[in-house]
Amino acid sequence: MSGKVSDDQPRVGFNGAGALSHVYIQHPPLTCSISGARGLFYDDGNKLLIAPVLNEVFSWKTSPFTSFHDAPSSDTLGEGPVLSIRYSLDGKVIAVQRSNHEIEFRNRETGECFSQRCTSESEGILGFFWTDCPSCDLVLIKTSGLDLFSYEAELKKLRLVEAKWFNVSWYVYTHESRMVLLSTGMQCKSFSALQFSSGGVIRLPRFEMTMTKAEANNKPVLDADDVHIVTIYGRIYCLQVDRVGMLIYLYRFYRDAVVQQGSFPMYSTKIAVSVVDNVLLVHQVDAKVVILYDLFANSRAPISAPLPLLSRSLPRVAASSSQICSPQALHMEVTEVSVDEGKIYGDGWTFLVPDLICDVTHGMLWRIHLDLEAIAASNSEVPSVLEFLQRRRLESKKGKQLCLVIMRTIILERRPVSMVAQAFDVLVSSFAHSMKSGNICTDRSISSGSERAPTSDIQDAGISGTAANEAISRVKMHGKSIGKESTSVVDNEALNLDMASLINNSSSLFSDSDEPSAHMDEFQSGNQHNLTAKEGGENQTSTETSATDMLPTPLQSEVLGASGNALDSNTSGPQGSQVACVAISPDEMFSFVFALVEDEMAGDPAYLCAIIVEYLRSATSEKLRIPPNLYVMTVQLLARNERYAELALFIINKILEPSKEVAFQLLESGRQNFLIRKLGLDMLRQLSLHHDYVLILVQDGYYLEALRYARKNKVATVRPSLFLEAALSSNDSQHLAAVLRFFSDFIPGFKNTADHSMYCRILNERS
Amino acid sequence: MQLCIFDLRRGQHEGQELDKILFFFPADCSFSMQLSVIGLSEGLITFTRIFSPEAACEVIEAERHSHVFYQAEPDIWMVMVVEKNKESEAVWRSAAVQGVLKEVHSLFTMFHGSVRALLEKQPDGGLARSHLYSFIMDYLNDFFVGKKLQLPSFRDCLRERGTIQMLTIGREAAIEVQSLVRVLESSCSGNTPCNSLILFQDLLVSTTLSPDDTANLFTYAVLRLTPHALSYNMNSWSYLRKGTAASHATVHSSLPNPGSTSEEFQYSSRDTSPGRQGSGYQVPRPLKRDKWSKGKDGFLVTDIWGSDAGCLNCATPTVWLQQTGECVYLSIYQHKNLTIIILIPVSSFINGEQGISWVKQQLLQNASLKILKVEERLSRGWGGENAYHVSGYRYLLADNDRNTSRASPPGKVTTLAKKSLLALGKLREEVDLEKGRAKRDDPGHEKDLEVCIRANNNAWIIARSTRGKELYMVLEKANETLLYASDAVEQFSNRYCDGTFSID
Repeated sequence: MSGKVSDDQPRVGFNGAGALSHVYIQHPPLTCSISGARGLFYDDGNKLLIAPVLNEVFSWKTSPFTSFHDAPSSDTLGEGPVLSIRYSLDGKVIAVQRSNHEIEFRNRETGECFSQRCTSESEGILGFFWTDCPSCDLVLIKTSGLDLFSYEAELKKLRLVEAKWFNVSWYVYTHESRMVLLSTGMQCKSFSALQFSSGGVIRLPRFEMTMTKAEANNKPVLDADDVHIVTIYGRIYCLQVDRVGMLIYLYRFYRDAVVQQGSFPMYSTKIAVSVVDNVLLVHQVDAKVVILYDLFANSRAPISAPLPLLSRSLPRVAASSSQICSPQALHMEVTEVSVDEGKIYGDGWTFLVPDLICDVTHGMLWRIHLDLEAIAASNSEVPSVLEFLQRRRLESKKGKQLCLVIMRTIILERRPVSMVAQAFDVLVSSFAHSMKSGNICTDRSISSGSERAPTSDIQDAGISGTAANEAISRVKMHGKSIGKESTSVVDNEALNLDMASLINNSSSLFSDSDEPSAHMDEFQSGNQHNLTAKEGGENQTSTETSATDMLPTPLQSEVLGASGNALDSNTSGPQGSQVACVAISPDEMFSFVFALVEDEMAGDPAYLCAIIVEYLRSATSEKLRIPPNLYVMTVQLLARNERYAELALFIINKILEPSKEVAFQLLESGRQNFLIRKLGLDMLRQLSLHHDYVLILVQDGYYLEALRYARKNKVATVRPSLFLEAALSSNDSQHLAAVLRFFSDFIPGFKNTADHSMYCRILNERS
Repeated sequence: MQLCIFDLRRGQHEGQELDKILFFFPADCSFSMQLSVIGLSEGLITFTRIFSPEAACEVIEAERHSHVFYQAEPDIWMVMVVEKNKESEAVWRSAAVQGVLKEVHSLFTMFHGSVRALLEKQPDGGLARSHLYSFIMDYLNDFFVGKKLQLPSFRDCLRERGTIQMLTIGREAAIEVQSLVRVLESSCSGNTPCNSLILFQDLLVSTTLSPDDTANLFTYAVLRLTPHALSYNMNSWSYLRKGTAASHATVHSSLPNPGSTSEEFQYSSRDTSPGRQGSGYQVPRPLKRDKWSKGKDGFLVTDIWGSDAGCLNCATPTVWLQQTGECVYLSIYQHKNLTIIILIPVSSFINGEQGISWVKQQLLQNASLKILKVEERLSRGWGGENAYHVSGYRYLLADNDRNTSRASPPGKVTTLAKKSLLALGKLREEVDLEKGRAKRDDPGHEKDLEVCIRANNNAWIIARSTRGKELYMVLEKANETLLYASDAVEQFSNRYCDGTFSID
């Protein structure tokens, strides 16, 4: 029974057993092999993949991520060794670490160079990064501590702003988190952490990581590869691999504390970590499987069983008009590419923050994708699946489709009402949340909802034979919204992907400001506050902003800064706003769930009714505006099954909120039951739809009452002849005379009309 | 007062006249007396039918008595003869007395099926007689004040018998309630879903039944099932008695215990058919007082319908639904002030008792949380007994389509002067007549009606009727202009009736 409706939808779990995986990389990859390249470098500040060749440097933009790329851009570079290389955040300067003591700076436009050397021979440069911290531009990590410099372009030199003294064995930094972890000590397990946020430099208290002792005298040393900084839902975490204990510890950074928050098992000596759409991926490299965790909830249980990472290719033919009406589009012609098994988790694989994989040996770059369908299919706990999907931002469109399909499926399968109610709660609260955070996607759907004539909508659906037809006709009705999508998504999955990565790009850069809904709850509120304060021009420190959480506040400056603007234009387009919303509005809930299941559920009206009540309960608790269509449908449902007592209660208690549509449906359904018809009439009156009220009264033969009402409420739009005809047909000449008199007295010029003379004659004949 | 029920189809031959009588109150009345009352009534019916075959006489006013007629079923008539007593309070509307007859018959039919069916089941009439006797005696029991039977008088003219009083709830609460109703509905597995009624205190919150069935069950619930009705040794808080707070303890002691074997004997001795004497039918007496109690699991239990040997499992009561003609089990769950009546089709189980206990279990499992929630919410919103008092107004608002009414709380009505109430009673009598006339003239068309009179104690007595809804109002100490009175109605209508009565 579910088949009919969901044919045009992605089937949950269509991924057969052969293609079992929850994450995949997509073929073809971005190719980044240049002959003679001396290694590949990743500049996470600018999301560039950089390959220096002799006296040139090539760079590929990894965001937006597309595999069909133009040629890389290139810059000239002086000869010499390259230990590391990073572009300044405004893209004007290239900084190259030439040796342990020297960093070279080169202006890309003018080609001017200068070098910065260590003053003392005893200290060596471990690395450097550009920062958008207000006090400095560049941070140099040396064995003796940190040097904070500001870059003076005119003077062609760095000016030391501040030096912080630490003993540093090694360090870890991600631009995403703006956090640098400095490792010290014999075992390298004690850490100093600093965040170079746009609000200033925040220094966290020192903390130790947990290391299991192997034997009494053998103390393991923590390696830089074993520590990963990850940013999830805007929170900053650190994952630390304890090789002896075979555990991965999770730490969360708060403003004033670093708290260990549980651990994950490891099944491989080599561990890699990625974050895709706020889902934590722990690659068990030796075992060639990946385990997914959603750290939003408190549970540290994996989302699903460990499964391999898959390599897929999408044939470009995936021509599809609209994701909603075309079957092919979402059946995602997934052909598993026979990438030889050895290639996956090959030796040359490097995992880049947050979600890229670079095969250094072959010069290939992939982005990791979540297979939402597979994840949804592997979990039978419907509410939690929906919660998971609602938190996804990258493929929000697919997430939304999946949610709708799941909803329909559980209704059609007649799962317990309590469970469906829970599912509604999840979707409704998610939508309410995105409403509150000012997500734009709702305006569109509401306006499209109001464009439709609700009654005809439902009747259309009732008539159309097959569900497929119906879906199409519905899509037509939604014309604007979906039509737009279908053209913009263009027949090409690749482009679609392009867009997704575009969004992704913006989401990772803007993660706090542009898409506040991406990070929920406590993070959210603090952040918004932060942003508005920022706009007010205050240069405030995050001390004020984040009470509890350590926020990656520096990101915001990018939004306001130049680089932010460039990306901003990408997201503000119509596609951007449409795709960005995974939450399901009441209109969509009606059109894509209730309207579609209605036909199938005709045999079990009680169940459908219970489901609708649960949805109303859920939506009302969040004060959502419910489309009148749903009410109209409920009226039809109850009336068709002659449950008039309940219908009356629904109307009287305003469970079905009064509207013109509902009133007319009541009048229509009331042909079988005068009580219901009266309710419809009363509703018209309560809504002050005077014209309609008077018209219906006259139709029902209550023309005198109608006249009184018309006079009181100054309704002049109903033709006098209607009243006169009604009076005439009642065969009461007294009444007819009264009506005639009424119009003669109150309508100027009525005495000269044909009506007047005609009815006068009739009266005369009768008397 | 005399009350009799007779069947025009029986006792057509001379010497068999007694066979007509199905019930007579008081029971100790001599046969000749009974026969004379019934003979007169029958004569009047036959006579008036000559002029009005469809609707025979409703009331005959004699000098010292009124005869109020009610045709309960085809050819089965109920007649109440009430004495007119100048000095006493005995001034009533015939429609109100008819209301009593109608109510007792509806309740009887709900529990026992129609009188005709009982007569057909046992043509000698013994079954019908014993059922009617015990049922009506139990019913009348509620009307006794001391030794005197107190019929609805003019003091009750701001009340409408046989109607449902609804609790007004907000939208969110209503959705919660409906959510609970859906759970109740699904708690029985058969193809025919369970029906349910939910009451809070003595007010109806939700129903899935037709207005008539709802009214019957509501009436019964308020009489015997709600927490008020259950509470032992307390004056029955039924709406019947509320105004006339009477000490009921004395009633019990002073009344001869009806339905005891002696009386059954007495009654069946009159039975014309031999062989039935003293046998005594096993008659369930649903209206008997103090027979319901709350069980440990929250369900109400009673032994009215008989019990198994150990009386651990009392037989589940059944009732007949008017609209569907279906026989359903009556199961009542009570949580604090929330009374939930669940009606489970008898046909849905092969083994009734087992099925019922299964349903109960399901219910406790699935619904108890929701029940708690609903009770809590309704309690929070509960405005007390005077919740529907509108200061300055004494009113009765009735919706004939839905069988509902709302009125000023009885305590507030008692503050009205006797003169005002008498005038209102009079006015209502007139309106009843007018309504009846309009109905006969054009059954499909509901007439609007508007009366506003100034009583000689300077109170405004107002009646409005529009499309099935009626409003009666008494305004004492009000301004003397008619404009004031009609403004007062307009305001009331706009605020409390969604503008139903705001015509001009």
